[in-house]
Amino acid sequence: MATGPLRFRTPHIEELPTTGSRQAPGFAWVAVSGAQDDPAKNWGTSNRKRARASLGGPTDQQREALSARQQREVERKIRDLNSDNSKNAAELPIPKKEGGAGASTVARAGKTPNTKKILGSGKTFAHYLDDEEAEIARTGRRDVDVEAPTGAQRPSKTPLARRKTREESSMSGSPAPITPVAPPALPRISQALSFGETTTLDAEEEGDDAVPPLPSSAEMEALLNAPPLTYSQARSAPPTPGAPPPRRFCETCGYWGRVKCMKCGAMTCSVSCKEEHDQSKCLKMYA
Amino acid sequence: MARQKAHSLINAPAPAPAAPPTATLILDAGAHTLKAGFSTAGTCHIIPNCLARSDRDRRTYIAADLASCRDFGELAVRRPVERGYIVDWSGEKAVWEHVFAAGGVLGGVVAAETTLVLTEQPGAPAGTARMSDEMVFEEFGFAGYYRALGPALNAYAPSPFLPSTAPPPPPGTPLECLLVVDAGHSHTTVTPLYHGRPLHPACRRLDIGGKLLTNHLKQLLSARTFDVHKEVWLVNEIKEDACFVSQHFARDLERTWKHNGSPRTKVDDGGDSIVQDYILPDYETITRGFTRPHDPTLTARNRLGLGLATTSTPATAPKEHILTLGNERFVPPELLFTPSDIGIPSAGLTGTVLQSLAALPASLRPAFLANIVVVGGTALLPGLVERLRAELRARVEEGTEVRVARAGDAVGNCWLGGARMARDGGGLGRVVVTRGEYFEHGEGWVRRRFAGKGVR
Repeated sequence: MATGPLRFRTPHIEELPTTGSRQAPGFAWVAVSGAQDDPAKNWGTSNRKRARASLGGPTDQQREALSARQQREVERKIRDLNSDNSKNAAELPIPKKEGGAGASTVARAGKTPNTKKILGSGKTFAHYLDDEEAEIARTGRRDVDVEAPTGAQRPSKTPLARRKTREESSMSGSPAPITPVAPPALPRISQALSFGETTTLDAEEEGDDAVPPLPSSAEMEALLNAPPLTYSQARSAPPTPGAPPPRRFCETCGYWGRVKCMKCGAMTCSVSCKEEHDQSKCLKMYA
Repeated sequence: MARQKAHSLINAPAPAPAAPPTATLILDAGAHTLKAGFSTAGTCHIIPNCLARSDRDRRTYIAADLASCRDFGELAVRRPVERGYIVDWSGEKAVWEHVFAAGGVLGGVVAAETTLVLTEQPGAPAGTARMSDEMVFEEFGFAGYYRALGPALNAYAPSPFLPSTAPPPPPGTPLECLLVVDAGHSHTTVTPLYHGRPLHPACRRLDIGGKLLTNHLKQLLSARTFDVHKEVWLVNEIKEDACFVSQHFARDLERTWKHNGSPRTKVDDGGDSIVQDYILPDYETITRGFTRPHDPTLTARNRLGLGLATTSTPATAPKEHILTLGNERFVPPELLFTPSDIGIPSAGLTGTVLQSLAALPASLRPAFLANIVVVGGTALLPGLVERLRAELRARVEEGTEVRVARAGDAVGNCWLGGARMARDGGGLGRVVVTRGEYFEHGEGWVRRRFAGKGVR
């Protein structure tokens, strides 16, 4: 409802009187949502960068994006650590020995078709691991457990009474230890040893915590004959959730990390190390 | 051509009239070195298990030739054994032929008259096992063959817990209970053995080995001093010479703090200073680097800590290139005990040993806790055994006896066990597969035999 001469044409605005309206003052109390306007922090700036920095840190979405990038960096570092310099060295040609020309070419290529295939294959360990896991996913552990390798797909014609039970093989590749073969109940062993006397039965069951008796020979045999673990099953499991959080170190000098870089999440120990990080290492990750 | 090959296979020595093998060769094929020797020998020959090419020398070295190499700078190394399993057989064949050659360290191996005992790591995929069996019989033509689990052979070596004056047990008898921690190049395995047989549900593997420690040290040095990304051999030597496992990580980290970039003006307390100078080889006068206590005057002018020094006669003396090592000495080996420092989701060496013990019945645990033997190349790091013992004692309940020892010859202990087992002819004869049996029954049968499933 501003009046006064304006150079451009304004649309005609007229406030219509409604029944409930009173003459309103020039200001109004407006409800403010809490996190937005903390006047101590904001100073009403229109500077977006400052506002973003002062508004309680990155949003959840930003934080997730940052941690995904950090996670990828960590995994890339671990992969580099496991590398064997094989990129430039895997194709190192084997020098030719002096010797009969005909004999050496035969020997180089392999004497039988099997060995020719082996010597000519360029498979790496990852291929063999994948092959084995595919095999396990398809059937049980074929090479060691199953006696007859053929006819695994056909339904068995042996009557139930004569079928041997197939050992259950664990299909998951989880690194957690599989349940041990030894039976869990120790009092049962003490029962066997106590020759059925009821009084000593109770005593043995309560004296369990003193010295548990050695497992019987049947259990030892079961333990010894258990199938070997696959490559993934034997891996050491992650530490329990109750363990202390992983320690972070300064990227520049190796001391404890105390200061976290806002852009890339790397830790440094002090201001001088942080400057070093900003100059040479941070931009590389950021870009 | 194919018909000729088929004929040769059919006419292959169905070896009924073959003479029994006269010698037994034990080969412990590791990722870093190959330990080879006949069972009658007292010690093994340790041969680098790689093919290396030096661009400066313009030569490719196979296996033991590497000892004659003068310049290890920017050595490109091809390792046929990956993660502990023989994957690249063309490379491995070249190495073996070099080792078996008439002029080699073993004095010539005639495969047709030799029984081979080959080690493999636990958890092998079926493909690598099959390849090994086929190569040994069909390509090399050994007369007999036994593929043993590497850690299991350690049970036949003399126990490090007995005093050296005690008479050694007769060859062929394994130790009763043994927990073998094999800290090798590719990984570290924890294997409980009962009378020489592994208890499979309790075997564990930590994917940290000497290779990862060397690569980590390489990255630290490249970030802080100068770029050594291509110098794997040199950094391996630095790791072997200067690295150790710290007993109090936090305290040692404080002692090596660089105080915000100012040059180290004071040598830290206690007299046994952690900071050391490493003199780099220049492959002309110095072929192998060595360490020296830190001398701050030499590096004071250069902020990177890379100094040049001349000895007292400046005119003719060679210049030395010096690398100052502070916390780089003990931070890479710390990864063995705290892999989460770098982000690897694993439990550390102590945690892995405890996981392995947790998978055993409770009554067996004290027996194995009292017999822990550490073998392997990475076990040579000073302070590793003490640290493992201290951490285990802290985490196991009071009163249980914890004995951890490093085998006398950590690198060759597995070979020694294999040799002692092989000297007992009867024991070996029960498990060995002969060439005739291989061609008669086929490869799958052989693999099941080695896994203990078949009937003799």
